[in-house]
Amino acid sequence: MVSEKLKKIILDALRLEDFDIQDETTASMVPGWDSLSHVKIITAIEESYAIRFKTLEVIRLKNVGQLQRVIDAKS
Amino acid sequence: MMSFTSLQFPVFLVCVYTVFRLVPQRGRWAVLLGASFLFYSFLRISYLPIVLAFSILATYLSANWIDRSSSSRMKKTAFLAGLLANLALLILIRYLPFLTTNLDLVIGWIPNFPKIPIAPVLVSIGVSYFVFQALSYLIDVYSGVERAERHFGYLALYLTFFPKLLQGPIERVGDLMPQLKERFEFQYDNLRLGFVRFGFGLFKKLVLADRIGIFVDAVYGNVHSYTGVSLLFATYLYAFQIYFDFSGYTDMALGVARMFNIRLSENFRKPYHATSIAEFWRRWHISFSRWLLDYLFSPLQMEFRNWKVLGTPAALLVTFLVSGIWHGASWGFVVWGLLHGIYLSASVLFKPYQKVLHKRFRLENTSILRAWQVFATFHLVCFAWIFFRAGTLGDARYVITRLFADLYGNLFELINTTTWKNLFLFDRAPREFVVLFFVSGVLFVGTILSGQRFINLEEFLTKEKTPLRWAVYYILIMALIVFQVDGQKNFIYFQF
Repeated sequence: MVSEKLKKIILDALRLEDFDIQDETTASMVPGWDSLSHVKIITAIEESYAIRFKTLEVIRLKNVGQLQRVIDAKS
Repeated sequence: MMSFTSLQFPVFLVCVYTVFRLVPQRGRWAVLLGASFLFYSFLRISYLPIVLAFSILATYLSANWIDRSSSSRMKKTAFLAGLLANLALLILIRYLPFLTTNLDLVIGWIPNFPKIPIAPVLVSIGVSYFVFQALSYLIDVYSGVERAERHFGYLALYLTFFPKLLQGPIERVGDLMPQLKERFEFQYDNLRLGFVRFGFGLFKKLVLADRIGIFVDAVYGNVHSYTGVSLLFATYLYAFQIYFDFSGYTDMALGVARMFNIRLSENFRKPYHATSIAEFWRRWHISFSRWLLDYLFSPLQMEFRNWKVLGTPAALLVTFLVSGIWHGASWGFVVWGLLHGIYLSASVLFKPYQKVLHKRFRLENTSILRAWQVFATFHLVCFAWIFFRAGTLGDARYVITRLFADLYGNLFELINTTTWKNLFLFDRAPREFVVLFFVSGVLFVGTILSGQRFINLEEFLTKEKTPLRWAVYYILIMALIVFQVDGQKNFIYFQF
């Protein structure tokens, strides 16, 4: 399940009012989520959860559900 | 030498297709693999098939080693071994002459230092394409996106499949491998679409690209005898030559593959309609720019993410420097790549201000803004093409200075008929200009009248009425016979 906290970080970074974000949601489904904003989202997550991703972990991600699991495993 | 445009190719294709259909399904991969190696050896460069075989072997062993290792350290060692083996091949075949020449220049300054031998220039058609595809496969296996392929034959076929061997598209294993393994069922539509697509590709190459090339070569082969206006128009023409050349090749590659029920990736999507350089790269040589985005830019961007605003521009510069070097070992390509890197970095840095500016002047979503963006993007791309096409950096510098210096003189030349006579070779080859003018005119009017339906070949072939379709086929074949340029030229992207 995508937590409210993660959802809010993503929406804030993309400057979106609201968007339905589920486990299966991929970047290409969300307006404005391109390679540039992707970095913004990752650094915003790192700051607010006080964690650090490895580059390979980020590249491997296929959807938001997987992102949530990596965060859960780290925090 | 046999390429798609040679007369031997149809014979080769018919033979391969017949054997492919006669052999039972479990042996078909071997037919295609054998055909691919045969196709490659028709280039008559003895060492190239060996280089290809070495790359396949290294990639196969490395990927399976990664897959079977349990510790992450072993995985990394296996990955690096495969990566370095492939890169070593690439450097050995493509970059040694450039490296030794420039090294020799540098150490030439040291007195009494022994001279280093300069490596001979080798033919490397295809190498940078299959090496990059091998790298993409290794990275996918290492990062856990894909499992290693156990079947040596299928891995070899994935790397060599002859329609894409010489000039791409560079395919990801997840896109191509499932198709290669799928059971072949004859589909008339695939054969027909493949055939027509191949024909359209031939037309782009033989009638358009090669003809435009005649004018471009005349100017760029000897820039110092031409003036600003001629240089400007030769540069515009080159932008179209390289597009028709490369997209024509891609059409042929996709067409041939389609006859075997295989859909390769699209490489072009109206690149000169792009409204920004970033969009241009999503429309030009797509399989290559996707490679750069996935395997170089994104990881670099992540690595540099703490550099604040400068992280992305730095990643862009490195990425496009590599892109330049990939195209060839010469300073012209390096500058071309860096220029695109600078364009993109600048657009990332200025984007917030640009938005404010557009809002301030109420230009958002207007057609004027769009037209301006297409115009500006096309000219930025053309400016960079100068370095791509010019023989040396000195030639490129000459072209640019002549374009921008002496504006008054250039305006005068614009109305001087001698300029146009020289540019379009009225004295030497009057027919070429007339044909180019006629064919482009017909294409332009045809595209407009048909409401751009020609552009989408697949839709055209499935929806239009039979008589119209056959009329187009006949015109295409006639045009190919009547209007093809005598004396074929190689594809521009073969050299990369």
